[in-house]
Amino acid sequence: MSIDVRNLTFRYDRGTSLEKTSLEDVSLSIDKGEFVLIGGEIGSGKSTLVRHFNGLLKPFSGQVTVDGMAAHEKKVKARVGVLFQFPQQQLFGRTVFEDVAFGPRNFGYRGNELDLQVHSALELLGLGKEIYSVSPFRLSGGQMRLVAIAGVLASRLDYIVLDEPFSGLDAENKKILLSALRHLNSRGTSVIVVSHRMSDLLSVADRVFLLDQGNLVFGGTPAEYVKHAPSHLPEITCLMKELRRKGFDVRGDIFNIDDAFSEISRVLNTKEAVRR
Amino acid sequence: MNTLFFRYVPGNSIVHRLDPRVKIAGMLIASISIFISSSLREMAVVALVFFLLALISSISVRVILSAVRPMLMFLGIIFILQLFLTEGNPLFSLVGLDATYEGLALGVLMSMRFLFLLMFASLLTATTAPSLMTTGIEKMLRPLPLKRLGISSFDLATMMFLSLHFVPLLYGSFSHLRDAQVSRGLDMARNPFKAVYSLSVPMVRTAFISAEEVAVAMESRCYQGVNRSSLNEPVMQKNDLAALLVFGIVMFLLV
Ligand SMILES: Nc1ncnc2c1ncn2[C@@H]1O[C@H](COP(=O)(O)OP(=O)(O)O)[C@@H](O)[C@H]1O
Ligand SMILES: [Mg+2]
Repeated sequence: MSIDVRNLTFRYDRGTSLEKTSLEDVSLSIDKGEFVLIGGEIGSGKSTLVRHFNGLLKPFSGQVTVDGMAAHEKKVKARVGVLFQFPQQQLFGRTVFEDVAFGPRNFGYRGNELDLQVHSALELLGLGKEIYSVSPFRLSGGQMRLVAIAGVLASRLDYIVLDEPFSGLDAENKKILLSALRHLNSRGTSVIVVSHRMSDLLSVADRVFLLDQGNLVFGGTPAEYVKHAPSHLPEITCLMKELRRKGFDVRGDIFNIDDAFSEISRVLNTKEAVRR
Repeated sequence: MNTLFFRYVPGNSIVHRLDPRVKIAGMLIASISIFISSSLREMAVVALVFFLLALISSISVRVILSAVRPMLMFLGIIFILQLFLTEGNPLFSLVGLDATYEGLALGVLMSMRFLFLLMFASLLTATTAPSLMTTGIEKMLRPLPLKRLGISSFDLATMMFLSLHFVPLLYGSFSHLRDAQVSRGLDMARNPFKAVYSLSVPMVRTAFISAEEVAVAMESRCYQGVNRSSLNEPVMQKNDLAALLVFGIVMFLLV
């Protein structure tokens, strides 16, 4: 069970003077149950890549398959949910409940089961019962975003792809969203997060891919990433590398605060011990 | 995704380099010819002229198709209405309605008219940079006594420019929205009513929001609407005039 991308090349506006290669010979595979990050500068082809995961774009050459099916097959839409950038634009329901129910209804859920899925998606994102029957357009920007995300989570698909879900969210909502994604992931859902600033997400990911101008330039674990990647390092990794350069004997492949804390205290303690 | 919808596609052909005023006037001539042509033979001439121009401007078929495709349904409705609602010799009958030979001819003619209008318009937008288009329109409007109506030719040209500018932009948001709803399981073919509802509500909202954003952006840059100059002032040259003359004469003689 996986999403497999084999030698994918894609060009926009083929056959015109605006033609542009946005993905060049990209191969990767994402297993069921993984938490994956896809990073890269703006314009590096991240959104173009994820549009292939549920068949919205067809490869110019190469293949994309989901659990063995070609990605543009209709059934794939019931396995891979994609949340695009600026998802608050897609709201249209009369009430928050109706809007979130749109996806699950399209996938055939009715009655109690539908209610349950809508409620649990909204609850997971910290949205209280009092807004269920409110028009989504009366909510704040951050809440609208969360409702739109709930609209994708509520369908309970096997793979959930989110394109820049954190950009423009405040710290509180970021935390809520991240823990919701981790919760889903712990129950077996594959979570694929696209972000041009992925350094602060490294500690939750199983695997990381980095795109640069349409080319896949890195694929591996977060630990390998901070060891090998030339750029886009988390601040905490930069700090550890700098400490190393200054002669402290700390590890340079650390990317979360807790590890950094214990590593620094270990080194400080040994220093103390030596001094005594 | 259809991002080429009435968009400018840079190029270096003769048509690209023509003065925008010539192309706009040419577009007017073409529209008039299209509407006065009343037989299939005259339509064929219009088609021929169009394909020659498209060939010279080396515009890809995709660009033209992308303008036409979304309108096919509209063209189809025009055709069917003409086919059934025109009096004449019966051709066949369907659920109590008679299709006629005259209706068939008229239906083909009417839908061809709209088709070629669209195609000429997309040729114009594809070969003319939006800023040049505005300057062109503005200069053509300047002799008119618009002041007395309380608007300047600059205002009018800016309005037209903004409309032109919004077409690909709105189409972009439309494709974005469609992708989003399709990803939420919307099946546009099986559920057209749901499709219209789930796309039109956010579409209208987006249109209003982006219109307001543009207005705020213009105001915050002190847009006054009077006597703006432009970076690229088009200068009418002899060959521009000659091209217009030739095009006008050809169209009127043929049609
Ligand atoms: N609809 C489109 N039409 C033409 N070019 C596009 C379109 N969408 C994206 N591109 C181009 O493809 C490249 C990759 O874009 P995208 O996948 O959106 O990057 P990212 O999501 O990493 O910011 C960019 O250079 C962009 O200009
Ligand atoms: Mg993107």
